[in-house]
Amino acid sequence: MQKEQYQSPVEVSEDILQKWEARGVNRRDFLKFCSTMTAALALPVSFIPRIAEALEGDNRPPVIWMEFQGCTGDTEALLRANQPTAAELILDYLSLEYNETIMAAAGHQAEKAKYDAVEKYKGKYIAIVEGSIPMADGGVYCTVAGESALDVARKVCGSAAATIAVGTCAAYGGIPAAAPNPTGAVSISRAVPGATVINLPGCPLNADNLTAVIVHYLTFGRLPATDSFGRPRFAYGKRIHDNCERRSHFDAGQYAESFGDPGHRQGWCLYKLGCKGPQTYHNCPTVRYNEGTSWPVMAGHGCIGCSEPAFWDTMSPFYRRLPQVPGFGVEATADKIGLGLAAATAVAFGAHGVASALRKGDAHETDKVKEEE
Amino acid sequence: MSKKIAVDPVTRIEGHLRIEAQIEGGRIVDAWSSSTAFRGIETILKGRDPRDAHHFTQRFCGVCTTVHSMASIRCVEDALGIQIPDNARLIRNLIMGIQNVQDHVIHFYHLHALDWVDIVSALSADPVQTAKLAQSISDWPKNSPTYFKQVQDRVKAFAGTGRLGPFQNAYWGHKAYRLPPEANLMAVAHYLEALEWQKDIIKVHAILGSKNPHPQTFLVGGMSIPVDPDSQNAINADKIAHMRKLLRSARAFVEQVYIPDLLAVASFYKEWAGIGGGVGNFLTYGDFPMDNAGGTDSFYFPRGVIMAKDLSRVLPMDQEKITEYVTRSWYTYSGGDDKGLHPYDGETSHRYTGPKPPYEFLDTEGKYSWVKAPRYDGAPMEVGPLARMVIGYAAGHQEIQETVNFVLNKLGVGPEALFSTLGRTAARGIETLLLAQKNELWLNQLADNMGRGILEVHNGYRWDPSTWPREARGFGYHEAPRGALGHWVRIERGAIANFQAVVPSTWNAGPRDAAGQMGPYEASLVGTPVADPEQPLEILRTIHSFDPCLACAVHVLDGKGTEIVRVKVL
Amino acid sequence: MLEIRYVWEWPVRITHWINALCIVVLAVTGIYIGNPFLLAPSPDAFVMGWVRFIHYVFAYLFTVSMVARIIWLFIGNQHASWKAFVPWAFSKGRENMWGTFKYYTFIEKKVPYVVGHNALAAAAYSLVFALFLVQIVTGFALYGQYQPGSFWDVIFGPLFGLFSSPGVRLTHHVVTWLLIGFAIHHIYSAWLMDIKEKNGTLSSIFSGYKFMNPEDLK
Repeated sequence: MQKEQYQSPVEVSEDILQKWEARGVNRRDFLKFCSTMTAALALPVSFIPRIAEALEGDNRPPVIWMEFQGCTGDTEALLRANQPTAAELILDYLSLEYNETIMAAAGHQAEKAKYDAVEKYKGKYIAIVEGSIPMADGGVYCTVAGESALDVARKVCGSAAATIAVGTCAAYGGIPAAAPNPTGAVSISRAVPGATVINLPGCPLNADNLTAVIVHYLTFGRLPATDSFGRPRFAYGKRIHDNCERRSHFDAGQYAESFGDPGHRQGWCLYKLGCKGPQTYHNCPTVRYNEGTSWPVMAGHGCIGCSEPAFWDTMSPFYRRLPQVPGFGVEATADKIGLGLAAATAVAFGAHGVASALRKGDAHETDKVKEEE
Repeated sequence: MSKKIAVDPVTRIEGHLRIEAQIEGGRIVDAWSSSTAFRGIETILKGRDPRDAHHFTQRFCGVCTTVHSMASIRCVEDALGIQIPDNARLIRNLIMGIQNVQDHVIHFYHLHALDWVDIVSALSADPVQTAKLAQSISDWPKNSPTYFKQVQDRVKAFAGTGRLGPFQNAYWGHKAYRLPPEANLMAVAHYLEALEWQKDIIKVHAILGSKNPHPQTFLVGGMSIPVDPDSQNAINADKIAHMRKLLRSARAFVEQVYIPDLLAVASFYKEWAGIGGGVGNFLTYGDFPMDNAGGTDSFYFPRGVIMAKDLSRVLPMDQEKITEYVTRSWYTYSGGDDKGLHPYDGETSHRYTGPKPPYEFLDTEGKYSWVKAPRYDGAPMEVGPLARMVIGYAAGHQEIQETVNFVLNKLGVGPEALFSTLGRTAARGIETLLLAQKNELWLNQLADNMGRGILEVHNGYRWDPSTWPREARGFGYHEAPRGALGHWVRIERGAIANFQAVVPSTWNAGPRDAAGQMGPYEASLVGTPVADPEQPLEILRTIHSFDPCLACAVHVLDGKGTEIVRVKVL
Repeated sequence: MLEIRYVWEWPVRITHWINALCIVVLAVTGIYIGNPFLLAPSPDAFVMGWVRFIHYVFAYLFTVSMVARIIWLFIGNQHASWKAFVPWAFSKGRENMWGTFKYYTFIEKKVPYVVGHNALAAAAYSLVFALFLVQIVTGFALYGQYQPGSFWDVIFGPLFGLFSSPGVRLTHHVVTWLLIGFAIHHIYSAWLMDIKEKNGTLSSIFSGYKFMNPEDLK
């Protein structure tokens, strides 16, 4: 009886399970993966077989992963993936036709692999873009094999079934686009306006969100629903603040005042140390990083808002609640300016009051009060 | 006959790199290294809060993540005169230590190994013989015929789909591949194993740093990860135990898989101990402070300089002697491009003068890279694990000497063999072993501090910008996996007035300077044999031995610049 | 002979005092939310929770009051009408503004005499009205962040695309300080006019009546 309950509530065809076993993936792990994905996508359990079928056989979608003005952090994030692991992704789930960091081939052989895939799988492959695209000065700020990033992006994303922008640089321009944006860096959706793009911002992105999007696409043949910034709702639908493990301390009114103080050690809210959780939509508190080991707030550092557009400019300074007031120095905070303003107003009107009290003959004749005799 | 070739993109590295090389009589006679991407982060940093700088600089690189944060917070701490608490020193050492271990193993298996290991050949290996080979060099518990059979079946099934993905179009079958099929199969198995292992052991970063890549607990003045044995929200006994387990697993893999594999593979490629020597000058800033008061003298990896391969003399390192040239880089200096500038006075004014994309070749007679050319006392320097091991060896560092001698004896070569492509790859392994063994010491010290009630992780003195001097400047160092990393900051009125980073790959991948001296990549390629210019595997071997950290490209040109051969896919 | 004039109708007075109360409560709670200066003694406290709750309740009250006052702009008497708040649109108003400006800056001795708001004050109030609206819009936009797709998020969410979330937050914060500055000025001016015009300016906002000599209005 126990055993009955233990089994997956839905049937996945024996045929599929055997094929996976032949590829070295045991059925338990495979089913676990399918159900994790179903849960991640907030789907009913009855979708497990559908996900299993989507992953079955050599349906592996061809993927072309391009890096432009990036730091390879998102590729590294992919290597930390657990459900499935990087090895499974590379060998079993995807057909990674091009990724400069991982691929064996180099130079023209590598370029040929990329453009062969574009030709062979026209309209069917997934393009993944890491890093922003520099538009200034004819694209000289990033070239691959002598070709500008913009040209490569147009060719590859232009004929892709879908483009996934991994990381904040590809999604919104990220750090190269931070003021004063020396290279004219833009996101992939601005560089190639015709492409079907889904944004997975984060610096770097959480690999779990990438695998979930890929599986969603394999299962339903379309990309998941997104918010107004092109981010999938299943991963960016809630503020960090609203799912935060330290939220009760926020509501209670308990705040860490400095790093390492007793409140900080006891996990009090990091609001006063500049946490940007209240402004940031991401699933960090629930999914966490490195197989759910931790995330910034858990490790005592405020959120820096890395999944929000233009966060390098709007969320900084990172250790203050509010951005700098334009036109005032680094040290001035909005409150100091406000207090100064209020005080200056009071002083000015005080002075005006004294002057008004001293002035004579400004009242109307009729208003003049007659002295009582 | 003379030919010029280009490799672009150079893959299995971080970033965008391009190599152009001239080949004569089967050997490279001239080479140019070019980075083809520019982001301008130094420019973006101007005017910002210096306490934020580490978040920005960490995004220089996601592979050697953490390292720029480390150098950035140190340069601001240097500028403001902040001493960090002992716990912060230990946490930083642990983060740096495990970063080096993980990064080096990934480099060896996933970025470098395919230059030496032929995956296709592994398909014809005998799993029983493979197990015997593996057991003869290591007592790693997985070395069984069943295990190797399983791996082989998995790779066969993958190859059977006919869709090789990242393994297509490579130089499989190239005659420069020397390993027997069994050794290839063993390496392929460990390629996959290392891929699993690296994501586990790096959880040390998640515990101490919140996540990896791009941990987020660095602070000017210490770390943000609290330490408190009586709290659920801090490093406590449970987390110490978790990290101990991870560190042990890291060490076991290094001792029982990485080092035996390195020695086994190297023994088939001994001629590479005479190839790829490079500039022969080495520089380290030193790192891993062993106590909190000893300054640079307490560094586990010492600071120093060696010139012209002279192991008898380690010179003191003085950062004032560092200058950067832009004579051959796409930047301009207001005082003229032929003069070097110290990073405090550094300028990052980009001006591209290269060919308009799409282009076939760069103008290697003029400016040809986004990388500046740093020089120490006017000389090009190599940085990285080899520099660290050579300087430690020459300085009489006991643990380094013992381990280096052990490896040299195993391979039956002398210390002169260190100055080579193979030496660079071996030094990386030696260093990994040393750090894998050291990490636990730091963890124990951290636990000991906690036990004694020492819980401070952050020095809040001068956290508030109102306590800062009007002007300040500082130098931040770090021995990153790829070598000596320096950040220089000038702070004025609480904001960054200038920020310059001279990163390891700037030292190594830099182009020529005003005097026409080659950078280390370029110098090390000269003399490298290239059996088949269509498949310049040898270029990748030497370039990958440096573990490049930028995006790149390589071209092959005719000696007279007339005949241009495109590297074609076979 | 002094005349007693009914200047401020009851909806004007009620919304004025509700606004005043709301501004005080919203400013105090808002400043606490931006910088929680009091720390809760124990984890079972709910200090920030209550402060935010009060902030939201008064935000709704303020909004209702503002809506009522906006309606009254169109149905109230001439002193409450929207026309009084755009003096620059009428020649008499412009004249009056200039006169008051001269009085305030000590250039002119005579107070320009009006029954309702003086023209300069009325112009300032229309700016303050605009700031009130900014606060309502940015405030409810920020409030809506807790639930994407909620009513407030749908109508004001697009602001975040235009000004970014921290930008909206900063605006809400800075405008609070501007309104605090306004309040100081407002109380002072009322006091000044009360003693200089001697027409019961201060008491008029309680009672609705002002006392004036028709001669002065000529």
